[in-house]
Amino acid sequence: MSQWLQQVIDRGQAIDDWLSPLRAQALEALGNTKWPNRRVESWKYTSLAPLEQLELSPNVTPDNVIIEDIEGLGSLDLVFENGKLQSDISLLPLPQGLHISNLLDPPVKEQSTATTLFAKIKPRRHLFGLVNDALVENGLIIDIDAGCKIEQPIRIINISSDGQESHHRVLVRLGNHASATVIEHGQGKQASFSTSFAEYEIGEQAYLEHYQLAMHTHQAIHIGGSHFSLQQKSQLNSTLIAYGSELSRMDVDIIHNGEHAKAKFNAIYLLGESEHFDLHSTIEHVVPNGTTQENARGIVGDKAKAIFNGRIHIHRDAQKTLAEMRNRNLLLSRRGQINTKPELEIYADDVLCAHGATVAETDEETLYYLLSRGISRSQALVMLNFGFIQELVDQMPNQHLAQWLKPQLQSRFVEMEVK
Amino acid sequence: MLKIKNLHASVEQKDILKGLNLEIKPGEVHAIMGPNGAGKSTLGFILSGCEGYEVSEGQIEFQGDDLLDMAIEERARKGLFLAFQYPVEIPGVSNMTFMKESVNAIREQRGETPLTATQFLKKAKEACKQVQLSLDFLKRGVNEGFSGGEKKRNEIMQMILLEPNLCILDESDSGLDVDALQVVANGVNSQRDGKRSFIIITHYQRLLDYIKPDYVHILANGKVVRSGDASLATDVEKEGYAFLGQDNAEETNA
Repeated sequence: MSQWLQQVIDRGQAIDDWLSPLRAQALEALGNTKWPNRRVESWKYTSLAPLEQLELSPNVTPDNVIIEDIEGLGSLDLVFENGKLQSDISLLPLPQGLHISNLLDPPVKEQSTATTLFAKIKPRRHLFGLVNDALVENGLIIDIDAGCKIEQPIRIINISSDGQESHHRVLVRLGNHASATVIEHGQGKQASFSTSFAEYEIGEQAYLEHYQLAMHTHQAIHIGGSHFSLQQKSQLNSTLIAYGSELSRMDVDIIHNGEHAKAKFNAIYLLGESEHFDLHSTIEHVVPNGTTQENARGIVGDKAKAIFNGRIHIHRDAQKTLAEMRNRNLLLSRRGQINTKPELEIYADDVLCAHGATVAETDEETLYYLLSRGISRSQALVMLNFGFIQELVDQMPNQHLAQWLKPQLQSRFVEMEVK
Repeated sequence: MLKIKNLHASVEQKDILKGLNLEIKPGEVHAIMGPNGAGKSTLGFILSGCEGYEVSEGQIEFQGDDLLDMAIEERARKGLFLAFQYPVEIPGVSNMTFMKESVNAIREQRGETPLTATQFLKKAKEACKQVQLSLDFLKRGVNEGFSGGEKKRNEIMQMILLEPNLCILDESDSGLDVDALQVVANGVNSQRDGKRSFIIITHYQRLLDYIKPDYVHILANGKVVRSGDASLATDVEKEGYAFLGQDNAEETNA
């Protein structure tokens, strides 16, 4: 038993709240878990040393964090600073059919919803998912009544400040025929450790538009995940935007539990300096007739390191599955590193499954062509290398969010290029 | 406009240009002909600043400035334009975005305000019409899936939009049928205004039937071996490059 895990177990056991029976399962699982090293496949390229060595000393004067307003988005914002919700949920003007409650202190009805979701969609194999189960100290239950179309995007913002540790959880249930947009937005740059996991139950014929903005940078260590269970004829459109930090890791699970569900998952990662980002995605086609389209694209500069591990698992009964997974990468420097691995496990015989992974560098001849037309080097690189990222940004259904993101991604890219 | 003095250049340690001299005044059209491997395209690449070419000797003065001292994009911004023999395809970057960036980079250099999307579109539409490309080509990726002739016309369209001072056309006639050749030639002729200068690099005389040069130079073995007026091109067409003799034609496959 590693010391690190032992202290998690000790802390988890000391918590006494309504979640305790649920935490107990995680604590038991953690007790049987080995601390991962490089020989463990899912941690092969990501070392947990920065986490083990992390010594947090909470800063007396908290960071002055500015929450950027996203023009035109008109979102319902729920802001957590180091785990503390900054607004009073009971005072929020919620549209009909949308119920939001505090995970640690929910009304009885939501408590039962939470019980059906907590650690039920997120697979057990995620070590830090278990850590989150054990230590979660804040979060939300979002419950949307059947048939309710919630137009206003729900944006959950998590800010990690200097020296802080936080464990955050979101449980979302979309009733049958319901629809909603949920944005998970995390940020922080000073030494901190945060985990945030979200579980989504998407009811029959329901539609979830989901965004994960994993914008932790510098010394902020962040490990999180989004896990989706799709019921019959439901649809998921999810976009992940990731920066990297000293250690950033994201696990995504999309599970087709009902037939004729459609999932689209796009991921963009832009890493510079010595940033690290690890994305593990798993698509489970448990039942027949499901469709999944996954597209992950990344740019890696300087000494940064990206890991993409995309797994598609088509179960024996999942005939007529259409699954496609693409991963394209651009490496801007000699010292940068990209590790990409598609993993296909197919047990049904009547399926269409495609995958591809590429890593490329800037083509000098193309660059010369643009320069010879008077375009500056930095602008040319943006045009050449940013196009394939931009394409995914353009596919985001929410254009306000896309417009807000584009200049940010572009300037991040230009900074990466300069170094 | 352009003064090239005793230019020696090599690529991958192979000497290509061996003491080339050329002077071009504003408004003049110079044709450069010569056998394969004479260094014609190399000259175009060196003028535009392509990396990988080493200039070991000589000077190039462009509008009074030392051209060899300027970055690729700087040359373009000061009015030098090379129409490529083999333009690259750039999927994912629309022709429209590419040309707008380019036009505005050059306008900025000239102290002009950048064109808005609407202003640019208007100009681009006119240019498209002039080179007989349908407007769809603006939306497509730069040269992506274009035929050889369409690529050449796209180069001429850029030339029209960028309004350069010195245009270098590197075999803009190769691979074109007669109709396309006329489109390219008309595009060039429309830009002749008595101030703008042209270097037309070609193998064949036929392009020069449509674009009348003021001077014709024969480049062989890295040097200008003969200069004359338009009639020199006709002589070459009749007699080939045989008059250059064995000594000069030896490195024909470079």
